[in-house]
Amino acid sequence: MHVIWEGIREALRLIFGGDADVLQITLRSLWVSGVALLIAVLIGIPLGSVIALRDFAGRRFVVTAVNTGMAAPPVVVGLLVAMFLTRNGPLGQFRLLYSTWAMVIAQVIIALPIVAGLSLAALQQLDSGLRQQIAALGAGRLQAFVAQLREIRIALLAAVMAAFGAVISEVGAVIMVGGNIKGQTQVLTGAIVQETRIGRFATAIALACILMMLAFGTNLALTLIQQKGRESG
Amino acid sequence: MNAGGAPVMVARDLRVVRGKRTLIRVHHFEVGSGLVHVLLGPNGAGKSTLLKALNGLEQAEGTLEFEGRLVRGSAARLALRRRTAAVAQKPYLLSTSVLNNVASGLRFRGVRRSEAHAAATEALELLGVAHLADRKPARLSGGEAQRVSIARALACDPTVLFLDEPMVALDPPTRRSLVNDLLRILDHRGIAAVWVTHDRDEALAVGDTVTFIEMGEVVQSGPALEVFSRPASESFATFLGLDTYLEGTVIAGDSGDLRLMLGNGKELACGEAPLGHAVACIPPEDVVLLTTAPEHNMSLRNVLHGTVRAVLPDGRLLRVSVAAGDLEIAALVTKAAFEELGLSVGSPVAAAFKAAALHPIPRLDRLQQTP
Repeated sequence: MHVIWEGIREALRLIFGGDADVLQITLRSLWVSGVALLIAVLIGIPLGSVIALRDFAGRRFVVTAVNTGMAAPPVVVGLLVAMFLTRNGPLGQFRLLYSTWAMVIAQVIIALPIVAGLSLAALQQLDSGLRQQIAALGAGRLQAFVAQLREIRIALLAAVMAAFGAVISEVGAVIMVGGNIKGQTQVLTGAIVQETRIGRFATAIALACILMMLAFGTNLALTLIQQKGRESG
Repeated sequence: MNAGGAPVMVARDLRVVRGKRTLIRVHHFEVGSGLVHVLLGPNGAGKSTLLKALNGLEQAEGTLEFEGRLVRGSAARLALRRRTAAVAQKPYLLSTSVLNNVASGLRFRGVRRSEAHAAATEALELLGVAHLADRKPARLSGGEAQRVSIARALACDPTVLFLDEPMVALDPPTRRSLVNDLLRILDHRGIAAVWVTHDRDEALAVGDTVTFIEMGEVVQSGPALEVFSRPASESFATFLGLDTYLEGTVIAGDSGDLRLMLGNGKELACGEAPLGHAVACIPPEDVVLLTTAPEHNMSLRNVLHGTVRAVLPDGRLLRVSVAAGDLEIAALVTKAAFEELGLSVGSPVAAAFKAAALHPIPRLDRLQQTP
């Protein structure tokens, strides 16, 4: 019990004392997951929309692949990315393994199916009558696409929240492709694993608290936007 | 109603095919400027598919001309949709304010926000719902939402307005008031309309012309009153609720008038029809019930004597079935008239009707089968 109390006291000191290492790890986590999420959203929403709105050969297979991707274990993603980025791998020439960009790539692969899959599901649930009404109002293809995204904006925000939750809390892939190198590729989850392993519970608790606050803060902000959107809907 | 002018839209040999199924096959359909064209037919007849094909929402084979120009390809169909407007069964409002909804069609057409909002406000005023401008769609009643949907269509100042059963979800008073307002606006602005309905009363109330569609094909088309009084097929007559059918042969009488000779040898004066085998229908509202001999000045040339077989309520009226020998004639009468005549089931009564009320429908199918 004493260890836990000590840990919490130390954690509060690290958080509010502005510890440089903790701040650096936190900012790196935000950068890696933020960039990955941005890329996943930019690709995932159009991808989900194309799958939802277009008929093409093998559509069912693509939908199944996206849905499977939503449940892909991060360690499997880490293994695949590591295989591609390793020196002898197909993309080894870029020397990205054990860099933050390798972590971004892994997290994009984790977040992309979530964003695409949830966008796809939301668009498919949109009333086809509303879709036709938008076209009948004289909307061009791009205008109709944007209008439909506006109609599912609450579901899209849920997709972003789910994807952010998945990447910020993910540990397997970032350790495998980033190497958990202190001062270079270490993010919150990797640091918590390492600090716990060497018995520095106070630092681990501090980092865990920050991770929880990040998850809570981001989701709170998105939820507020989402509910505002619902009220104005 | 506006007198109407040159056709703004002409469809020829229009076919919508989905997979191996032909959903509609329409040889010719015209939308006259300023006229209300009703597409009437039972559920699943292909009315809405034809409407979508005319509106450029459904790809169709054949030719479609709008204001003298051929509509071919997705760009031409988009241009067509930007000169027309559509109102569906449900209001399908976007999740934004009523004002933004009504302005949305103009915004899609590239009209500036301030201009679009001014036109939207005007359209809302026209429909009497300007006070709802800031409301969200979720806080509107069904009638209000459909008014907003119609305002949204009218704000675009369309040449043709496509309406797909727009009143079907509304209660009768709301429907009446909205129909009246809409017809007034269409007439005032000279907007042509293609109005899909399966409600014969609504068709008769709003239509300048009526096109009856069944199984994807046009069965009959023409001025509303003419089409209603002279249905060209048994199925259309049944759809119109003309439930008295007399099978016989149309023959020319001694004085050149037309007569329907029934199977039992009895002859009845009938309306115009080609000579030959026919099934004649009599609108029940055209049948008069009498307990005394008809006066000489009445033009009721057909009088069938029988007894009241059954009496059923039909809205505010009573539907009285009269058994006259092996014939059965239906009449619609008011409750007051029924009581005044002192009728009850089994009472002797005469069913009388004019020659024009007996409308023979040629049995082409049987004639063709006759060797």
